[in-house]
Amino acid sequence: MATDRQSFDEIDWGQIDEESEREISPNFIIVAIGTALMGAVWAFDYFFVTGTWDAAIGMDFGNQYTPTFEVIGWGYDVTQLDWLFAFSLVLFGAYMILPLYQNPRMTKYYWRDMKRNRPAMASLGWLLFIFVIGVIGPAIIQAPTVDLMTKYQPPMFLEINNVYPINCVGEVAGGDCHGSLEHPLGTTGDGKDIFRIIVYGMQISMKIGFIATLFVVTIGSIVGTVAAYAGGLVDEVLMRWVDIQQSFPTFILYLLILYIYGASLFLFIVLFSLFSWEGTARYVRSNALAKTEEEYIKAVQLSGASTYRVIRSHIMPNSASSIVTDITLLIPSFILFEAQFAFLGLGDSTIPSWGVLIAQGRSDLAFAPWITLIPGLFLFFTILAFNFLGDALLDALNPEADAEAEQ
Amino acid sequence: MGMEWYIVRRVAWAAIVTFIIVTITWGLMTAAPNPQVQQAVTQAAMDGENPAEAEERMEAQLQLDRPLHVRFMDYVVGVYTLEWGWSNTRNQPVTAALVSALYYTVQYSVPWTILTVLIGPIVGVYSAANQYSWRDHAATGVAFFGYAIPNFFFGIILLLIFGVQLEWIPIVYQTGVPVFSVQNVIQLTIPIFVLVTGSIGAIMRVSRNEAAEYANADFVKTAKAKGVSTYRIYARHVIRPTMVPLSTTMVGYLLAIFTGSSLLVEVVFGIPGLGRTLYDAVVAQDTNLVLGSTLFFTFVATIGNLLQDLVYTVLDPRISFEDR
Amino acid sequence: MSDPHGRRGDDSNPGINRRRWLQAIGVAGAAGMAGCTGGDGTDTATDSPTDTEGDAMGEDTPTPEGEVEIPEVGGTFNTVTSSPVDTLNPLYNTEAGAGTLIGYALDMGYTFGPGNEQIPQLYELTTDDGGKVWTGKVRENLQFGGDYGQVTAEDFVYLVQEVHKSDWAATSASSSWPETTTITQTGEFEFQIELESANLLYPATYDPLMYPIPKDLLEPYVAEEDSQGLQEDQELLELEFAGNLGAYTLDEWNRSSGQTYSRNEDYYMQEATDINQLFENAPYFETLESRVVQEQASRLGALETGETDYASIPPERVEEFDGLDNVNVYLQPQPYNEVCVYNMRENGWNAGPGNLFREKKFRQGLGCAVDKQTLVEGVFRGYANVEYTWQPRWSKWYPSDADVPEYGTGDLYGQDAAQSRIQEAIDNVEYDYSYDGQGRLLNPEGDQCTITLYHSAGQNTERSMAEFIAQEFEQNAGIVVEVNAIQGSQFSNQYWQQEIPENADELEWSNGSYNAGPRDVATSKNPWDMTVVYGLNTYPLNPLTAEVFFAKDSFYNPYGYYPSWDAPSLWEEANSAESTEELNETLSEIFVKIAEDQPMGMLAFPSSRAGYASDIVGPQENFFSGWDFPAWYREE
Repeated sequence: MATDRQSFDEIDWGQIDEESEREISPNFIIVAIGTALMGAVWAFDYFFVTGTWDAAIGMDFGNQYTPTFEVIGWGYDVTQLDWLFAFSLVLFGAYMILPLYQNPRMTKYYWRDMKRNRPAMASLGWLLFIFVIGVIGPAIIQAPTVDLMTKYQPPMFLEINNVYPINCVGEVAGGDCHGSLEHPLGTTGDGKDIFRIIVYGMQISMKIGFIATLFVVTIGSIVGTVAAYAGGLVDEVLMRWVDIQQSFPTFILYLLILYIYGASLFLFIVLFSLFSWEGTARYVRSNALAKTEEEYIKAVQLSGASTYRVIRSHIMPNSASSIVTDITLLIPSFILFEAQFAFLGLGDSTIPSWGVLIAQGRSDLAFAPWITLIPGLFLFFTILAFNFLGDALLDALNPEADAEAEQ
Repeated sequence: MGMEWYIVRRVAWAAIVTFIIVTITWGLMTAAPNPQVQQAVTQAAMDGENPAEAEERMEAQLQLDRPLHVRFMDYVVGVYTLEWGWSNTRNQPVTAALVSALYYTVQYSVPWTILTVLIGPIVGVYSAANQYSWRDHAATGVAFFGYAIPNFFFGIILLLIFGVQLEWIPIVYQTGVPVFSVQNVIQLTIPIFVLVTGSIGAIMRVSRNEAAEYANADFVKTAKAKGVSTYRIYARHVIRPTMVPLSTTMVGYLLAIFTGSSLLVEVVFGIPGLGRTLYDAVVAQDTNLVLGSTLFFTFVATIGNLLQDLVYTVLDPRISFEDR
Repeated sequence: MSDPHGRRGDDSNPGINRRRWLQAIGVAGAAGMAGCTGGDGTDTATDSPTDTEGDAMGEDTPTPEGEVEIPEVGGTFNTVTSSPVDTLNPLYNTEAGAGTLIGYALDMGYTFGPGNEQIPQLYELTTDDGGKVWTGKVRENLQFGGDYGQVTAEDFVYLVQEVHKSDWAATSASSSWPETTTITQTGEFEFQIELESANLLYPATYDPLMYPIPKDLLEPYVAEEDSQGLQEDQELLELEFAGNLGAYTLDEWNRSSGQTYSRNEDYYMQEATDINQLFENAPYFETLESRVVQEQASRLGALETGETDYASIPPERVEEFDGLDNVNVYLQPQPYNEVCVYNMRENGWNAGPGNLFREKKFRQGLGCAVDKQTLVEGVFRGYANVEYTWQPRWSKWYPSDADVPEYGTGDLYGQDAAQSRIQEAIDNVEYDYSYDGQGRLLNPEGDQCTITLYHSAGQNTERSMAEFIAQEFEQNAGIVVEVNAIQGSQFSNQYWQQEIPENADELEWSNGSYNAGPRDVATSKNPWDMTVVYGLNTYPLNPLTAEVFFAKDSFYNPYGYYPSWDAPSLWEEANSAESTEELNETLSEIFVKIAEDQPMGMLAFPSSRAGYASDIVGPQENFFSGWDFPAWYREE
């Protein structure tokens, strides 16, 4: 049964490879259109919405409150991060989702495979939920506001001793304040609605995950494969650079930069992206290195294939499983890093991320544990879902292990 | 030639890397204003004197008026002779601060590393051998849980349960207790547990996946056909090739945890180790101590990578050294 | 003046440390705080402003009559701090927390006890001529440790003349000793301080408050003019010279985890039973341990389980801890206020051209934007009083209510009140600011004004306050405020302190990094708009000291405030007052002017909320709690 199945390596990449030989692939068209659209909106934002006060500085740094879509009555200000996020979404769509559509047979096969893996399906559902709510939610749900008089409201079906909230929104019974529908997940020590913060936090986590992964995977896999394949001086230089980068722990480096410049989410993502690809590169390289020793690559080279072709159609696909493993570890680790810095009080405090909420609730843990627990659980389940999904993808993309399992 | 020559070159390279790092940190430090000069200037301004003159005087006193290359040489010599300056926020030499912090860090990081390196690959390979059995699922579940639960979050929860509710462990870390004492074991159990659950997850998974790739390799099949026991096959033949790709990530991975999570865990549990020293230095803007701890961490990382590469070469004899 | 600001925050500075460090030292250490009794905290909160004031100044007579039973010596007093200290060197310390820690092992000259009474410790300051010449009488039973011998007047005089007044040492007390103040030795155990002009409240300025430092220890550094050596001196850092000069002896200073002290058997105050009979065999703990516990939750947990005898309690948990059998909560008034400081320097107001904060009407408008009563109840759970001017209500210098405009309450609160005043202010400036139909303040470009507000990272009360201010500003003043958390020391270095301009000697004034020059030329490294990072000291014992906050050319003006009222002459008048009545009258006038001018958003006076193990005898619910810390003991 395993023998007549077409594997990932044979179908998917071969086909994409053919497409790349044509002048323009549909994937590329989508990216181009998406980029053009964004460029237009950006130009509109830059020339018509952003005041000259901003223009004097050269860019909209978010200092001025200038809603991009105010013309159509939507008071949402688009920031640099939003642009990057949108761009990474376009790329993601063009090179991850579209190929699934282009290869229905393969998609069906993977889908069948995935469907049997219940944790993976649940994870996929969870991540889709986070993704959809995270992208749409902040546009329609108001940002959480401070209401000192209704601090420490418990989530629905829970209760808290009435000495902690000043006014109880729900009903008071036996000296306890009960949760109410108005604040389904309760409120923080500032009286901010936790449900809304969670929704806003979803978007932040998604932004961190998508943008950073985009950078890391692109740089990492290029450097890794090139180094492994080219060898010699190129390999030496690239890997020595990786060495140095790896010797400079990112966490420490970020602390150092923070020490000098202060924190912002943008800086965080860019820095972590630019200094986190060495793991991917090393992984891809060591994998490719082992593979270049293998006979068939030598055979391909002997047959006169170009370097680019060899990398594109043989080394990259062969390292795909390693890359996916790496992404599934990377995305959650970025989300986790953000939460850690927020916890230490060194993160970007202006954003309502889950980490900020965990940090806020930590001193109230003894009597209002939900403030920390709810975002903590969201963080936990999101990281968990990435891992389950990654694992399932790995199984699906790794026909050897698959075949073994069915013996 | 071959491996020996490669190892020599690799060690030399590690030395060069430390030098590059030292140079970068020197650049950072030179670019930033010197607090002592600032203080002198402030004092002069307060006394109604000429701040520019005071600045020159102070720079002369601190020998900052010498040519850059002389100062650089002095600095490099200082770094390699462990003269790392004076910590303003602790009022002791930076090296003394780091040594006293190391004392606490070692106490939990040694057992943590040993446990991780032992348990991670063994459970991973065991899982691969029993793929899709309930044991595999249980191990995978533990791995996922450990990896997915944020260390600091897990730490706070455990501290709340075992420290505040059950009162089994002290809430405040006791620095005075002897290293080898029951009290110390009790107070370090939870931090080590948190760190181990956090770090073995990824290692278990990587080793499981790698080992699974070898599960239907020819040599395994042959061995099976010969009637060698599964345990023997995995113990003797699968672990070693599994460790090859694992070794390329494990040291870096452990170091990342060492510099990241251990800092969080030290903050949560109040352990005055290296991570918290660095954190406090950043928070209190103590330049010398920030640089000192940064240098320390990067040195550790460089040496860790060196060891990793050496292990790699020993483990995978297929790689040739001629052109590396 | 050394730093007159306190790092705000009960989280980072538990206990007595909330006070200015000098004052903390003044009360001899102890993790003291004040408040109402631990017994019934239930009715403390909300409406009545007198609750937290109570008997703020304490009883006048601290000495109980008749025989007092002397407690037994034994056990350990455990206390916690929230962050490690930089230095224990008495000459260079500027931190409140470290002041307390030094105070355990080394007394200062004198302190103040209940009823605002001067309690002589090392020496007693008296005056015969209405405050121009002060005589210090040094106790004769003071011994340094090591070979340094007896403490004499010479040690103090040498310290001031050769170190504090020198131009190389830059000690933290140097600004207390201007050229015009002279100190001379008049006997083996007597010195005299002569002031430029009389000051009846001189001891209450804390200026003549000194640590005992052996002359022999200082001499080599004086000869070399070696300030770095002095800062790094081992004996000073480890307080090895302290002899019998403190209730405890510092055994170990573990830089990141805390200090261990042991009982000082020969404590000199044992002879001062005339002050407090309990001093007879003081102190009453065999050891004293101070631990650094950075997590607030851990500190509170430790107090609950008895691992520590002291921790500061956040407002929302006062009731809970008050209900515990093994903890008493003391509400103690303290002099720091909660202020929202506006940056009136050139790099302030980054929402458009000009700096609107410089407009008095604008500041008044902002004063009308924040509901102070809600702030006090919502953030401080009523364990605070509303602040309208630079003096707590319990202070005897507080002007009678009728005179003080109460911004942020009643008619002087709300959107109309705020926007009408801001409208007046923007009509008055050359730039084209305006309100749109929805009550949003637009800058000349037509964008809504957006400014930033900094608060210390990790401090929940402070963050709540900042978030609340932000929301009130947006609602009532139409200004968007972005709330930013920052680490305190980073804020201090990069925002609060200015860089000394190149041409500092040509400027009208340049008084160090807290006021490096006129507000148009001297600015901090990074721009900022508003901050609640610092609480400032209102000096309720001697408000004359507060002059430093309200003069454009003082040593302390990070916010670039230029009074719109005739500040110099009014302060001059107050300084030269010859009677308490005269002083009171002038100060009243000053405080009314301050309330009108709104130099910063004056918000609240929180009480300290100190939780002690209930078997500790000694803490009181007044301003001076902790002055007799050596006499504290554990009840059997």
